[in-house]
Amino acid sequence: MAVERLEEIIDRLDSGQAGLRETLDLCGEGRELVNYCAAELDAVGEGLKELKLDELAARLDSSAEPSA
Amino acid sequence: MEQGEIELGAVIPQAGPNLPGPFPVGRYARRLQEEMRKRARVQLIGEVTGVGRSKVQAYFELRDSQGAVPCAIWLNDLEKAGLPEGALRDGAELVISGGPDYYPGGGQASPGFSFRATHVRLAGEGDLLARLEALRKQLRAEGLFELQKQLARPQLPRAIGVVTAESGAARRDLLAGLARRGWGGTVVWAFAPVQDRHAAPAITAAIQGLAARPEIEAIVVTRGGGSLADLWAFCDETLCRTVAMLRVPVVSAIGHERDTTLIDDVAAVACSTPTHAAEAAVPLDCGAARRDLERATASLRRVGEGAIGARARHLAALARGPARALQRERGALNQKIREIRASSERGLGERAGFQRRIATVVLARARRRGVERTAVARAAELQRGAAIELSATRALARRREALRKAAVTLRAHDPERTLERGYALAETAAGAPVTTADAARAAAAVRLRFADGRVQARIEGDVERET
Repeated sequence: MAVERLEEIIDRLDSGQAGLRETLDLCGEGRELVNYCAAELDAVGEGLKELKLDELAARLDSSAEPSA
Repeated sequence: MEQGEIELGAVIPQAGPNLPGPFPVGRYARRLQEEMRKRARVQLIGEVTGVGRSKVQAYFELRDSQGAVPCAIWLNDLEKAGLPEGALRDGAELVISGGPDYYPGGGQASPGFSFRATHVRLAGEGDLLARLEALRKQLRAEGLFELQKQLARPQLPRAIGVVTAESGAARRDLLAGLARRGWGGTVVWAFAPVQDRHAAPAITAAIQGLAARPEIEAIVVTRGGGSLADLWAFCDETLCRTVAMLRVPVVSAIGHERDTTLIDDVAAVACSTPTHAAEAAVPLDCGAARRDLERATASLRRVGEGAIGARARHLAALARGPARALQRERGALNQKIREIRASSERGLGERAGFQRRIATVVLARARRRGVERTAVARAAELQRGAAIELSATRALARRREALRKAAVTLRAHDPERTLERGYALAETAAGAPVTTADAARAAAAVRLRFADGRVQARIEGDVERET
């Protein structure tokens, strides 16, 4: 999971034991994970939407039969 | 019997035109009734549906998920049973006592089979628990408790489905739980009755409807507290089998305690309140996750920029290190050259020349060593940070050794060593060296310092220059 991997990366970087090559690789991977997580959070960050299943189903039916 | 005994329950050898009979059907019907009435008297438990009444009796079906039996009870027997008013209604869980019966019909009345109840009572908690336990045992043995628990649950679903009553605290509590998570995804409601005899099939249909939507990543089924009889719909076998077989994880929060109803056993997660169900459906606390992410971003930026900067500074320091050492040695050697030049003025030119040559060689070597050390240090740093420390320590040791050698060389030029070779040093009474004839004249009295001690001397005058 992305968050756990990100924590692993930060821990490793904070330990100061990573060499230059590893540090650069981890930073790159970390930035990708941050972007991914941020996108996921943004997707559920615009406020709760409420729908009803039967309305969804009805909408589906009407779009399936546009002439009806 | 003139036309032979009617055999009921015997093994019929083979279908065909050669069977016993034909018998008058009315006689057959009565014989059937007799046989039925011989059957054992038992108690049955199940849910009541299709209640109806005639002038003399009440009839209904008693059913569970596996089957049903039509039942009838004489109204006077029903009265004697003393059920509460309106208790014999659709959806009630009843325990009835009696046995099978067959009504042969007659006149205008239709024949039919029914279970003739002579006593009836509402199923108690104990009856329900016993039924529940049997069902629980069966579903567990079929491995249906494990299927949902093996499903991967999304940490941050974008859409969740919720089955609950349209009006009720459970709905409000769930929304509050989701808000506390900082989650702003999509909730798809599938409202269903949660307590009468239509409840279980309606809930099952709602769950199936939600599971059929590809965007829904988790389903919550919830209702408030109640007695086991109130919650009975959530022990329905068909409902629970449906949940067990779903590929979407189901979070259940029925009543105020976990593991009361059977749906809690088959669900991926069982919770005690709708608020907990919200947290189980959205395991990630979005607010905390956002803060963590900001910290991680800052951390990555700091480390990323720091890694380059710190290493660049380290390399620069290493590159300066040998240059500094070279400077120090050059200084030391220049000092020696000055001393040698001074000695050569006293007639030791040849020796000084030799020292100079040595100094040049030493200087060149030190310079070369310095250059080599820089190259080695750079290579070592690029390969491995740890080796840098080691190489720096070694370089330091080498520099120390070079300095030690320089000190030995220096000692060779110590005035004390010169005195040992037969030279004397003129000093003032205060011990300052007297290095010119002028100074000697001014001092009037001097001390002559030999290797083995000092003597007092007086300046009497200039010596005539020898010709």
